[in-house]
Amino acid sequence: MKLMSKETLNLLPKLLIPAMIAALLVLPSCTAGTPEISSYTIADSTGDWGYPSPYAHYSRGPGYTRMSFIFETLVWKDASGFIPQLAEEWEYIAEENAYMFKLHKNVTWHDGKKFTAEDVVFTIDYVKAHPNPFVTLIGPSGVREAVVIDDYTVKLYLEQPYAPFLHDVAGTLAIIPKHIWEGVDDPKSLTGAEAVIGTGPYTLADYSKEHGTYLYQAYDDYYLGKPFVDEIKFVKISAEMIPAALREGSASAGDIPPEVVSEMEETGLTVITAPVAWNAKMTINHHQEPLSSKQFRQALAYAIDREALVQITQRGHAVAGSPGMIPPTSDWYNPDTPQYQYDPARAKGLLEGLGYEMEDGYFTKDDKVLELELLATAQFKEVGQFIKQQLEEVGIKVDFRTMEAKTVDARVEAWDFDLSIYGHGGLYEPSILKRVIMDDGFNSARYTLNETLNQLLEEQLGEMDAERRKELVFQIQEAYAEDLPALTLYYPKWYWAHDGTVNLFYTKDGLASGIPLPLNRLSFVR
Amino acid sequence: MFSKGNLVTYAIAFLFILALNFLLPRMMPGDPLMAIYGDEALITMTPELKAELVERFALDQPLWQQLGAYFVALFQGELGYSYYYNAPVLSVILGHLPWTLLLVGSSLLLSTILGITLGIESGWRRGSRTDRAMLAGLMSLNGFPDFFLGMLLLIAFGVTLGIFPLAGALTPYSGLSGLAWLLDVLRHLFLPLAALTLAHLAGGYLLTRNTMITVLKEPYMLTARAKGLSQRVLKYRHAGRNSMLPVVTRSGIWMGRVITGALFVELVFAYPGVGYLTYEALLARDYPIIQGVFLMVAIFVLAANFLIDLSYPKLDPRVSYAY
Amino acid sequence: MHIDLKREIKESGPGKTGLIILLLMIAVALLAPVLAPYDPYQQSTASLLSPSWSHWLGTNHVGQDVWSRLAFGARTSLLVGFGVGTLATLLGTAFGVSAALVGGLYEKVVMRMVDAFIVIPMIIVVILISAYIRPGILTLIFLLSLLSWQGGARIMRAQALSLKERGHVAAARSFGANRLYLAWRHVVPDLGPILLVEFIYGVRRAVFMEAGLAFLGISDPTVVSWGMMMRDALSFSYLDVWQWWLVPTGVALSLIIIGLTFVGHAAEPVIEPRLRGVGIA
Repeated sequence: MKLMSKETLNLLPKLLIPAMIAALLVLPSCTAGTPEISSYTIADSTGDWGYPSPYAHYSRGPGYTRMSFIFETLVWKDASGFIPQLAEEWEYIAEENAYMFKLHKNVTWHDGKKFTAEDVVFTIDYVKAHPNPFVTLIGPSGVREAVVIDDYTVKLYLEQPYAPFLHDVAGTLAIIPKHIWEGVDDPKSLTGAEAVIGTGPYTLADYSKEHGTYLYQAYDDYYLGKPFVDEIKFVKISAEMIPAALREGSASAGDIPPEVVSEMEETGLTVITAPVAWNAKMTINHHQEPLSSKQFRQALAYAIDREALVQITQRGHAVAGSPGMIPPTSDWYNPDTPQYQYDPARAKGLLEGLGYEMEDGYFTKDDKVLELELLATAQFKEVGQFIKQQLEEVGIKVDFRTMEAKTVDARVEAWDFDLSIYGHGGLYEPSILKRVIMDDGFNSARYTLNETLNQLLEEQLGEMDAERRKELVFQIQEAYAEDLPALTLYYPKWYWAHDGTVNLFYTKDGLASGIPLPLNRLSFVR
Repeated sequence: MFSKGNLVTYAIAFLFILALNFLLPRMMPGDPLMAIYGDEALITMTPELKAELVERFALDQPLWQQLGAYFVALFQGELGYSYYYNAPVLSVILGHLPWTLLLVGSSLLLSTILGITLGIESGWRRGSRTDRAMLAGLMSLNGFPDFFLGMLLLIAFGVTLGIFPLAGALTPYSGLSGLAWLLDVLRHLFLPLAALTLAHLAGGYLLTRNTMITVLKEPYMLTARAKGLSQRVLKYRHAGRNSMLPVVTRSGIWMGRVITGALFVELVFAYPGVGYLTYEALLARDYPIIQGVFLMVAIFVLAANFLIDLSYPKLDPRVSYAY
Repeated sequence: MHIDLKREIKESGPGKTGLIILLLMIAVALLAPVLAPYDPYQQSTASLLSPSWSHWLGTNHVGQDVWSRLAFGARTSLLVGFGVGTLATLLGTAFGVSAALVGGLYEKVVMRMVDAFIVIPMIIVVILISAYIRPGILTLIFLLSLLSWQGGARIMRAQALSLKERGHVAAARSFGANRLYLAWRHVVPDLGPILLVEFIYGVRRAVFMEAGLAFLGISDPTVVSWGMMMRDALSFSYLDVWQWWLVPTGVALSLIIIGLTFVGHAAEPVIEPRLRGVGIA
């Protein structure tokens, strides 16, 4: 079968070279794909998150995020997992409990100087001496020693085996230039242009505290290629006005309330949502009667309908809490975790089993009505109200009080409470479990009565084998849900809308140490 | 009316404010360091820093020694350090201050001028339909809280009609300069200014009107009329000027009211003034900022009152003899 | 000279209107349990609904009936308002009259304190204190009263001073009446009209403060308050709900304040001639 005529066949070689040249010209822009964008505006309701330098930004996620456009880490993550950043390759040497990082060779600081292994070792020593709210290099997550092997190779000896090292440390620690920070005794004293010299794709052109605005400019000599977005602006727009701003185009991206999701999509905007990273939970004072009884705490769990709580107080825009704390959407979730499905009859049964009798609608024992005090800050007023109603329906009287955060914290710390509502994030990495179950502090359940649970929590932190670690985390969820020192209530869903010109995405397991914002600097780089 | 007595009054007021600033965080339950520095302190302070601060403010000493340390720090001009904003309180406040001054200043000016003018006109026509309508209208307007007025204006003109910007004092990084920049600022200023002015219009109006009514009965007005002076001269040069006095004397007290009124309006419009800063500090539980703002506002109001007291004899020569 | 305050108010047009508005509000507050078809605290999944026959003003973000919350909110505003008005007026009268009648160092000290407090902007102090201790209703009434009685004290003292020289008071003094008797039987009754005006303006100030504090979010959120409702409504201003959630609440609040203003204004001419230069507004 003849596919081509003889004449065409003869033409082919002559066509081949021009075709190849054409292909070579087209291909680079094919991989780039995206046209150059001169300006991109990101709306934020708080606005000011501090000067974007590692020691100056506010110690919250958005503060770190703005800094992360200017400073980089050894490894980074994209939507699927870890990727190289300043380190091209890395390897964990189990016998030595050390990580070996091979660094990129043509990275430059914004002032033109070359980036080398010296900068990495310097950063580690500096952060050990001057603690930074985002990374702790002393203690279990610590680095015992950082050694320069050659100009582009670094070896970090860990204090002890630490499973989330890449996530918590290598992927979060912002590397700072030795030639600027050397000799700076007080990191907070460096506040000028020098403090924002990093290796990242953007430089800081302007920052205003009062207006809560940031202006970033693309760094031409970025080692991965100049970003295709020339300018990024962070502007402050109040939460309820962000949808209007997105609609009229004065902002390119911003977080939106769940009610306008469909409206935003109809306008042609892309809406993305975060896998849950934050939970609201009810801490129970297990040192006090009657809450010291496991059965009693379980009764509380059966009495609170978390599905309804989500529907009513969060208008459906959340996921009901799992008593094992790890959210159902996580890779670490144990599907066999006891869920305590809403069962008020069972709750009542458990209470009766503890010696309580129903009298005039409330449980009593020894002539005393069963009454609990629920503390919370004003942020949780609807949730608290809901819990109060649910518990009272089962027969437990609840005195719900909202107070100033300081007061709640102080009372919880002093064990002067019955129930309190609290929220925290970091749910991507199981290392949070130990911190909020065993460790000290008012935001922890401080529960150490279960030896097995204690052991499991300690072990998972140092378990370097992923499969074995997952097993441990599964067991933790079961033990924790059985004992219930605190009950996770819900995981709120968060939504962002953007105009599609930049591909914003949610980083796997959160940005750096678990920040659930779709502002990964990679989106802006080719 | 400047007198030593008044100076004492202001001194007492100032001391009360300082005492409040000092006592409140120390009366809170829990660690006074956390109470003084707020949430962030817990996260960002190193043990060495905490120890240093405890020493500097004598937090482990009896209360009277703490008071001494507090005054020493204060006289060194140290309003404290905000661990949330990572900056000295004074610099954070100063950054926001110009916007509040712009808003409050122009609002005070506008509402006073408008109020006085309307008051004069109304008082002149005492009892007539116009007067009664203006009176009822302005008193009703007075009933609307400034934050409600602000919200209505924002929703009507900002959200629904889209004529005015939704928030802030200017368009960030707009690249505008000169006249265009000024217009941008004015566009952002318009709605909050309107809300604040409308809300405080009635005060000046009512006082002027009342005074006008009384003044019109004075013998010198009869003389002036007999002299055959024109309506306008009678109204403004004679009656009006004297009716202004109470408003001027009261403006010292009103300044305090307008500044705090600006707090609500700034909140609604996210206008980056000191009021908005206070609100954000309330949310973040950044006590150093809240205390710093409190101190500043109090000093400002006291100073304003003091200056007005000084200027009063110049406006009304009779008064310097009366005291 | 006893002026008939009731007549003054009744004859003034705005005064009548104001009185009617106030009585209406008080009626709503008292009858709230009857007028409200729902428990104002009952949450449900029926959130952010527009007005309908079952929910006259729709529902809020947690499915609570807005009309029911509006009715119960009246209770909060009026309770705090009248509570502070009463307490502040009592304190002001006590200090003002006693200062006038006792005189000497006591009077000097009290009046200095009074003047010092008048200059300080009250709301900032309340915000500062509330930032540390979230006040419940009773604490709030107490706090606001403590910070607002001073204005009335000055007026009461001025009045008491002029009354001190009046015929019937001087006569009683010459008969050997002690100061407490003088105060109670001779001075205070004549203060009647002024007391009332002070009271009315005190109530107005307190209603505004309570709403303002709730709007800032630093008062007790477990209490139904119009200020809190407006705050919640504002955070949903990107939807249409503000029309039936924000506006009626704001209007209700404004109406109470307007009502009080009108009544107070109608009562003012009674005392105005005697208080030239001091002013009340």
